[in-house]
Amino acid sequence: MVSRFANGNRDLAIMFYLQLRNELWKLFGKKRTYIGFGAFVVAQLGMLWAFQSERGQRSFERVLAGNGYGVTEYLSALTVAMVMLMPQAKLLMLLYTTLVGGDLVAKESEDGTLRMILSRPISRVRLLFVKWVAGCMFSVLLVVVLGICALAVARMLFPWKSMFVFSPGVAFSVLSAGDGLRHYLLAHVFMGMNACVMFSIAFLFSCLNIKPAAATIVALTIMIVSLVMEAIPAFNAYEDWLVTHHFDRWLLAFQSPVPWAQLFQSEIILLGFATSCFVIGCTAFQVRDIKS
Amino acid sequence: MIELRNVQKKFGSRLAVDDLTLTVPRGEIFGLLGHNGAGKSTAIGMMLGQVWPTRGAVKVCGHDVASQRALALHKVGAIFETPAFYDYLSGWRNLEILSHYTAPTAPQRIREVVDWVGLTGREQSKVKTYSHGMRARLALAQALLPGPELLILDEPGNGLDPEGIAEMRQTIGRLHRELGLTILLSSHQLNEVEQLCTRIAVLQQGRKVFEGSVAETKRRTQWVRLRVNDFGRATRTLTDAALISGHRDGVGVELVIGVETDQLVRRLVEQGIAVYEIARESETLERFYLSVMNEQRLEKQ
Repeated sequence: MVSRFANGNRDLAIMFYLQLRNELWKLFGKKRTYIGFGAFVVAQLGMLWAFQSERGQRSFERVLAGNGYGVTEYLSALTVAMVMLMPQAKLLMLLYTTLVGGDLVAKESEDGTLRMILSRPISRVRLLFVKWVAGCMFSVLLVVVLGICALAVARMLFPWKSMFVFSPGVAFSVLSAGDGLRHYLLAHVFMGMNACVMFSIAFLFSCLNIKPAAATIVALTIMIVSLVMEAIPAFNAYEDWLVTHHFDRWLLAFQSPVPWAQLFQSEIILLGFATSCFVIGCTAFQVRDIKS
Repeated sequence: MIELRNVQKKFGSRLAVDDLTLTVPRGEIFGLLGHNGAGKSTAIGMMLGQVWPTRGAVKVCGHDVASQRALALHKVGAIFETPAFYDYLSGWRNLEILSHYTAPTAPQRIREVVDWVGLTGREQSKVKTYSHGMRARLALAQALLPGPELLILDEPGNGLDPEGIAEMRQTIGRLHRELGLTILLSSHQLNEVEQLCTRIAVLQQGRKVFEGSVAETKRRTQWVRLRVNDFGRATRTLTDAALISGHRDGVGVELVIGVETDQLVRRLVEQGIAVYEIARESETLERFYLSVMNEQRLEKQ
């Protein structure tokens, strides 16, 4: 009895591994999957070029000097990497995770491959779970590549010295190079969660009977509306209800000491958000008729 | 193998399938016929658990599709009208991907199936480089990989050239003979269905209007093909002798019930009319199908 149960679990695990591998083959077999990675590198090189210009550097020097810090000490690879990372984490990451999330189910439905898959004895929930895990893996990989590239690109022109992080209302920190790198790595864990949530919102809409582009656009619209509401003072009292407010919490990882309670509160909310998206998407997909 | 009981499917207010009861016995090649929008693909969708019935029960391989989908489809392969693949991946990779949704599949098994369908040598090429015929073979390969007992083919010949259609027909025959598969074939190509199927069901606007063996549809008619030296004079002679009740196209005459062809020949020879050919006509599936459709239309009017 026990051995049959164990064998059953092993078979399930093997099938899960094979199906996850399938999804990754499909995802990374498409050229469009790499657009995000390419765009990050191009954007970082562009930002580095802008930062190198006299005007770009002068404005940053003003911020440092205004806070009583020396340019020579804090204009480092880590500082510049963070300057490049912040807008990319907010805009480009949002765009590319939702592009992939919107495609994942809706594109298969549009192309007809979903019908081929669903003539097999795989349950719809299992299929979606495997796709969701693959999408989350892509999102995390995107964050890892973003972080490594930002640091590598910044290091090409700037020295390895102390780090200065400044994001109005969220973070203001000065860290030694070693501490800075540790906090930089820690921040990426939370950025990874952001990417998974962004992806999950688009994934939810991808499970509905709509075109892939529509799924991406609806997800983007929701998050942009959330960003806009966050920027309007009238909504300050409701900011905890806005998903984008919790996206910014990754910057708290640069505070010393790290405000763990505040950080985890946001992460739990984001985890709940991603799970809810998956469950709603699954429910909608389960009751859907799949037709040619 | 397949059992549909009083199945109904509504899409909004539109009734796509209405009170459909159908049984496909093991070992048959069963033809599902009907005009576009008759409900064939919806019925197939319900058999595969892709479309949820509004009412009724669907069983495949003895298992209820709604509650035991995995068991019901474990030994089922399916091919659709326009088989879709991941064009940017190789044929082999497509087969690996699709087969793993059923069970882990050994490379040796994939090789066997690739060989069986005649794709050896091209399996590592990207699917976007495949011809229409090769895509059809790949579709067949993915359907055969799980070692099915039941094969569901939803208009598999669509878009194929005459050679491709003939090849598909031969392949379906081989599948039935060599692998002993039960096959459900939905098709508009009545000639193919006539040559392949043992039983058929005809759907019209979601309702089943006929179910029976192909032999039943080919029942003998009173029509006789007649080639003589003077068809006009022959029909006048036979009508005057009350042996035929009608004629058509300059080659066909309809016998009066009870009359046999030897009586026609004797009468014509006696009148000095040379008879070159005389043969009973059997009804074609096409003629049968059209007559069923017309009957239904007339009933509705």
